[in-house]
Order: sequence, then C-alpha cells, then structure tokens
Amino acid sequence: MEFGLSEEQEQIRDEVARFAENEIVPHAEEYDTEEKFPHDIVDEAAEMGLVGASIPIEYGGAGYSTLESAIIAEELFSYDPGIALSILACSFGTEAIREFGNEDQKERFLEPVARGEKISGAAISEPDTGSDVSSVSTRAEKDGDEWVINGNKMWITNGTVGDFFVMLCKTDPDAEGRYDGFSQIVVEADRDGFTSEKITGKLGIRASDTAELILDDVRIPEENLIGDQGAAFLQQMQFFDATRTGVAAQGVGIAKGALRAALDYAQDREQFGKSISEFQAIQHKLADMATKTEAARNLTYKAAWNVDQGNDITKGASMAKEYASRIAVDVANEAVQIHGGSGYVNDFPVERFYRDSKITQIYEGTSEIQKNVIARELLDKGF
Amino acid sequence: MKILVTVKEVATVEDEFEIEGTGIADQYLGADLNEWDDYAIEEAVQLQEAGVADEVVTVTIGPEECEQTIRQALAKGADRAVRIWDDSLEDVDLLDVGAKTEILSAVVEEEDPDLVLTGVQAGDDSFGATGVSVAEHLGYQWGAVVNHLEHDFDDAASVRRELEGGVEELTEIELPAVLTIQTGINEPRYASLRGIRQAQRKELDVKALADLGVDESAVDAELELTDMYEPESESDVTTWEGSAEETAGELAELLRDKGVAQ
Ligand SMILES: Cc1cc2nc3c(=O)[nH]c(=O)nc-3n(C[C@H](O)[C@H](O)[C@H](O)COP(=O)(O)OP(=O)(O)OC[C@H]3O[C@@H](n4cnc5c(N)ncnc54)[C@H](O)[C@@H]3O)c2cc1C
Repeated sequence: MEFGLSEEQEQIRDEVARFAENEIVPHAEEYDTEEKFPHDIVDEAAEMGLVGASIPIEYGGAGYSTLESAIIAEELFSYDPGIALSILACSFGTEAIREFGNEDQKERFLEPVARGEKISGAAISEPDTGSDVSSVSTRAEKDGDEWVINGNKMWITNGTVGDFFVMLCKTDPDAEGRYDGFSQIVVEADRDGFTSEKITGKLGIRASDTAELILDDVRIPEENLIGDQGAAFLQQMQFFDATRTGVAAQGVGIAKGALRAALDYAQDREQFGKSISEFQAIQHKLADMATKTEAARNLTYKAAWNVDQGNDITKGASMAKEYASRIAVDVANEAVQIHGGSGYVNDFPVERFYRDSKITQIYEGTSEIQKNVIARELLDKGF
Repeated sequence: MKILVTVKEVATVEDEFEIEGTGIADQYLGADLNEWDDYAIEEAVQLQEAGVADEVVTVTIGPEECEQTIRQALAKGADRAVRIWDDSLEDVDLLDVGAKTEILSAVVEEEDPDLVLTGVQAGDDSFGATGVSVAEHLGYQWGAVVNHLEHDFDDAASVRRELEGGVEELTEIELPAVLTIQTGINEPRYASLRGIRQAQRKELDVKALADLGVDESAVDAELELTDMYEPESESDVTTWEGSAEETAGELAELLRDKGVAQ
C-alpha cells in the first residue's frame, strides 16, 4: 500500500498553489461580488495548462489522470471555488469526446480547449429534468445530413461564455427502455437558433457562468454526433466515477481552504486577554474540521486511484462525493463560527466558502441521489 | 549558444520566528527556489525561445532533498540539471563565497558555457558575491545587477545594469561572461503542467567534488557564524498636513537629509 504523493504530484500541487495565491486570491472578492466570469485569469490558467489538464498530450493537454486532476481541483478550490470552477469547467463535456469521439472531432474540439482558445460545456439538465436524467426532452430530429434540435437546457455551466456544448438529446422517442434513444451531440454556440440567458443571483460560485440554453430549430451537421446514436447513457455512465470524484475533490478543497482561514484567524484574534485558539471549544472545532477534511481526502484519493486503475467503483465514488460535499458545508460553517462577526461579511474568505460549499451537494447528482446509489449497490451486491 | 544558470534552494522564514543558537528554529523554516534565480531561469528560457541559446543547463550545490525545488527550473524549460553534493559538504554550516566559487568554477570549466547567469544574491545568506567571484576566478567578463538584456547578440551582450542611487548603465559585455540577474528583469512564468510532467524525464546529474577535480579542502570555510540576533530597530514618523503641492518639497528635503535621495 502506498499512501504518499509522488514528487511530481507534490510539484503540481505547489505550482497550482503558487498560481492561486498570486493570480486568484487578490481578485476573488471582485468576481464574486460582480458575478463576472474571470476571462483574464482563465487565460493565464490556460497558459499554465490548467484548463486541459486531463486532455491527452497528443491533443495539447497534459494527459493527467483522475488522481492528478483531483489534486489540482482540491488546491484551486482551497483558494476560491468560483474562480476554480471557472477554470476547471472550461473543458466540461470533453471527456465524452476524448473517449468516444473520432479523430476529426478530437482535433476540432479537444485541441482548441487545451490551448485555451475555446470553452466547452456539458448540457444535460432541463427545466423539468434534474435528478431524473431519463426524462430529457430536448429533441434532435434527423433532416438529411443534419440534426434539427429543439428544447431548453437549464443550469448550464459556461452557458453564456462557452463555444460549444456536449448536449444530451432525445434522438429516438420510440425507443423501448428508459435509458434508450438518447444521443450526445456537440452544439456550437454560434449556430442559428441558439440563445443563452445568464442566470444571476446565485448563492455561491458566482464567478462561474451559469445559464439557460434555448434551442429553436438549431441545425447541426451529422458529424457532430459523439459515439453511437442512441448510446448516450451507456457512454455517459462511464464518466460518473471520474466526475463525481472530481466534485469530491472540490469539497475537500473547500474544507481545506476554510480550515486554513480558520486556523489563521483563531491564532490572530484575541478575547479575554488571550488568543481564541487557546479556548478548548475552538481547539475542538479545529480538530474536528481537520479530521473530517483528512477523511474526505482519503475517500476521494482512493476513489480517484481506483478510477485510474480501471476498477468499477460506483459506490466508492458516490461515497466520496456525498461525504466530501457534506463536510465541505460543515467545515465552512464552523470556519464562519470561529470568525464570529468577521465571518459574516466578505472581508474574509470564509463567508464565500460558506456560500460556495453548498453547490457541491447539488450538482453532479445531489446527496440524496448519491445515497440512493450507495444503498442500491449495498443491497444488490452486498459489501 | 549554451547558458549555465546557477540555482539554489534557499531557506524561507515565517514572519514570526524564534532564534535558536546561531540559527532560526526549524519549525519556522521552509524552502523555496531563490527568487533571483527564478528570474535568471526565465531570462535563459526566453533566450532559448528567441533562438539565441540552444541549451540551458542549471547547476546547484545542495543535498538530495533540494531536487524537487531544482526540478522547477526543468519544468520551466531548462534542458538538464547538475547537482553537486559531497560527504564533505554534509556538516558545513555556512558555505562561503570562496568555496562556492571553487566548486561552481569547476562546473563552468567542465560545461564550457558562453553565458553564465546567476541571481544577484541568495535570499537567505545574501552574500551577493558569488557570480562576480566566479567570473573573476575564471577570467570571464561580468556584469552585476543586470535588469535588462537584449535578446539578439553574438559575441557580446548588451545589458542594462543598476548602479547605486538610481543610476543605470548601458554596456556591452564580451562573451564568455557572467551576468548576475536582478529581480524585475522579466516576469517569471509558472511551470506548466506539461512542463512538470516532462521535467521528470529530464537529466539531473549528481556529482561529487572529486568528479569535478575539486579538493575537499576547498570547502573549509574561512568564515564562521558566531551570533544570530534581531537588530534593535527604531522607527520614526514625520507627517505633514496640507496638499501635495505644499508638502512635496518638504518630503524631498527630508529624503535628501536622510541620504535616501540625491
Ligand atoms: C450552479 C449550477 C451549475 C450547474 N451546472 C450544470 C451543467 O453544467 N450541466 C448540467 O447538465 N446541469 C448542471 N446543473 C444542474 C444540476 O446538475 C441539477 O441542479 C441537479 O442534478 C439537481 O437537479 P434539480 O435541480 O432538477 O433538482 P431535483 O431533481 O428537482 O431535486 C430536488 C430535490 O429532490 C431530491 N430528489 C430528487 N429525486 C430523488 C430521489 N429519487 N430520491 C430522493 N430524493 C430525490 C433531490 O435530491 C433534491 O433534494 C447545475 C446546477 C447548478 C445550481
């Protein structure tokens, strides 16, 4: 059993931390307050290769594994989740192209994303389709050598800044099974009939762009179909373990950042003539926060390691995602408590961590859905 | 053209710390690449990208633990690294400029670069002398505290140097030469993720003093660290009331009085 990171992995973590401290932290409050997508920071991150870390080397990425991507996500999220997501989500959806796309699609879509010239997105959710993905109603109909797409996609990350979206569409409404008849099609934002509307007023991750997409007779060439027609669910399912592990890493990062801020503040702040870190009540909070963070990290790294080994870890990935997102909310909450009144305003980063943490329990499958998955696996397969 | 860059892992210290004997207590210490060296590496890599240099080699004197720091330079674009270490260096407290000069000069003779870039100084022991001392020892030309370097040259380098009192000098320096690089000469890049990956496979050669033909006696220091203390500091504040037009002259006078401006 090997529990340590390699020298290369430590070096990645240190360089990402250096980037975040210099380029992200000084601007985090501004982008959060103004709900503004951080284009400049994303450009710099692209230069360092942060946006396409998991895109294969032959298409311009760094070819990093799930574990290394988790290390990067943890580190970035520990400084500012909103900007971190803006950077890492620039390649959302490309995993499908990487795995099931043909050579032409990989060149057209992966390379510009790896170079930071284009931003991608994954469009699954709809106004009436959230946890129950099989109810997707966005329709793609074949007309000659084109797909004609109609429907609405909701809550789409990068919706107004993205150049293309890997979209889950219903292509065969008469298919028999609940999960049959869906396909993944790349929809470019500059096609006629495509519009997007930014969603503002989010609780957290306000630098990240979220929008509703409206598709009105959007015509897409047939060569934008990814993989096999009707096989979207089969294709998408292959990435759940990796993407859920990725959100688990976000949770670990938020907890790590909130703990870091709380430790600093507790040692600085004095009441009753001494540092508040000398009160046992505060010490116990810090001890609990650190222990939970470490436990979540171990679940997450183990899940990531398993994904990289090619093992089936449906249960492990859901456990990591559910637990890490729960303790992210917990630890951020305690970090605000340790800050007292100062934690209630945005002079300190914990106010943002507290608001940002909640999303990790909602996207990529809510906590309830993760528990459903864990229980199903337990009951079907036992330990 | 071949460029040799000297790099060093330096000790970093937290804002609040405690002194223990002639050193700083371990728990307050960290380690990082010397800030000035980061600029020297960037300058060398830019010269390579501009097609002026075709090989960039780094050299350091340090134990195995510093390799991770040294690989930062490889991740940013240096081609290979040389690390010098020796049993005889294990218990040297303070490697003085004389010893560094002997060791680094031997490496320069072996590598035979056209240009040697060093930092102006190391952030921890701050001798600020090694680069120039190596040049003197080898009979190389040198330019100290370089804050601009033209990126097109053949047998001479056009440099801008910082002198005292805010004065700068533009000069040509014949190669082979040693330039000590000042912070701010460029904007050091972050190591890219691809670069970090590739750096793992780049050559990092470890050499002992005997491999370089340097005698162990070279490391016998003539300097001894006898004390470590925080200097007494005095602070004094002068405040002027009034607009900038009214008070700027008084500020200038004060700065002149204190010897800060001329
Ligand atoms: C900021 C943000 C960014 C997003 N980015 C994207 C994106 O890029 N692409 C994309 O496709 N989607 C995205 N989403 C959508 C996100 O994935 C969905 O919000 C999420 O899947 C939940 O769906 P829903 O909102 O419809 O909630 P619902 O499914 O309506 O759930 C409401 C509540 O009911 C519970 N519930 C539902 N079904 C069950 C069940 N079977 N058992 C127990 N409880 C249940 C849920 O857990 C939840 O508590 C994003 C959302 C947000 C807020």
